Amino acid sequence: MDWDHQIYFEDVHIDSIIKPISIPITLQRLVMEAGSNRDFSLMHHDNDVAKITGAPDAFANTFFIMGMFERLVREWMGLKGSLKKIKSLRMTNFNCPGSVVTISGTIVELLEEQSAVVINLAMANQDITTVTAEVTVILPRRI
Amino acid sequence: MTTEWGKWGEWEETKTFVNKVVGVSIGADAVEKGAIRRWLESKQFDCPIYRDEEAAKSAGYKGIVAPVTMAQTFGIGPYWKPSDPLAKAGDEPKQINIPVIFDVPAPCTLSFATDIEVEYFTPMLLGDEIKITSKLLDITHKEMRVGKGAFLRQEDTYTNQNGEVVAISVLTIFRFNPPENVTELKKREH
Repeated sequence: MDWDHQIYFEDVHIDSIIKPISIPITLQRLVMEAGSNRDFSLMHHDNDVAKITGAPDAFANTFFIMGMFERLVREWMGLKGSLKKIKSLRMTNFNCPGSVVTISGTIVELLEEQSAVVINLAMANQDITTVTAEVTVILPRRI
Repeated sequence: MTTEWGKWGEWEETKTFVNKVVGVSIGADAVEKGAIRRWLESKQFDCPIYRDEEAAKSAGYKGIVAPVTMAQTFGIGPYWKPSDPLAKAGDEPKQINIPVIFDVPAPCTLSFATDIEVEYFTPMLLGDEIKITSKLLDITHKEMRVGKGAFLRQEDTYTNQNGEVVAISVLTIFRFNPPENVTELKKREH
């Protein structure tokens, strides 16, 4: 990862696309996630419990999803700039072991006064969208 | 996510909790490098501001910071602490407490989260101790396809040891009874 790049508010336009990132979901990753994010709710690491609740298998939790959203915007914008807000987070499908999820984003709004941009984010497994959210990030200015 | 438990009580009781603090959680550990590294590891996420003092300072921070979405992680209390009893065979595993489900009474058997919104303020620095204070914002009754119940909005304020606000989140939980249950109850009444 090259951290010399920096995105400035002036660089961004409506409909600008953020280069997607992807990661394979394995049960090991879910267990590492639970250990490191401290969400030990059973359906995120115990396949049997997850199935009882109606999920096909253990599935990724909100902590992981938000963290991957943060990774996407951080890698895109560079070291300066900050993730300000996450809203309308909707989980429409489960993210289970065996899937490779892709996280992508599109700029939908420029907030001139706050030097911020609103991004529509999506997590998808192949062609199936699993999570959508709207995030606001504050970007530095060139001048 | 649907859960088949929660604190039981009448809506009249639920109402008395509006605008009140319904839960406080003190993070098990202060913000520290190892915890940040392990959190990044599972996401294959590398960024110098989370591990390198100089990089963090030149990006405008006072020192190494934690990713903002780690606020929840650093606000969760321990799953066991020295004054707690030891677990016995057959004990239910502990899960994350959601005060508006487990500490606020409502006449409902099921619940699920419908929305979450988070806003971030003061960055988390190494050594920071995070506390979450939960408040019940409001109750909105509604009949949904899954059953009749109400939306309970829980506002969580994350603060550090200096009282600075790190994040504020609003979690919406729908607590309800499925239609079958209602029919059963009515049958029993007649």
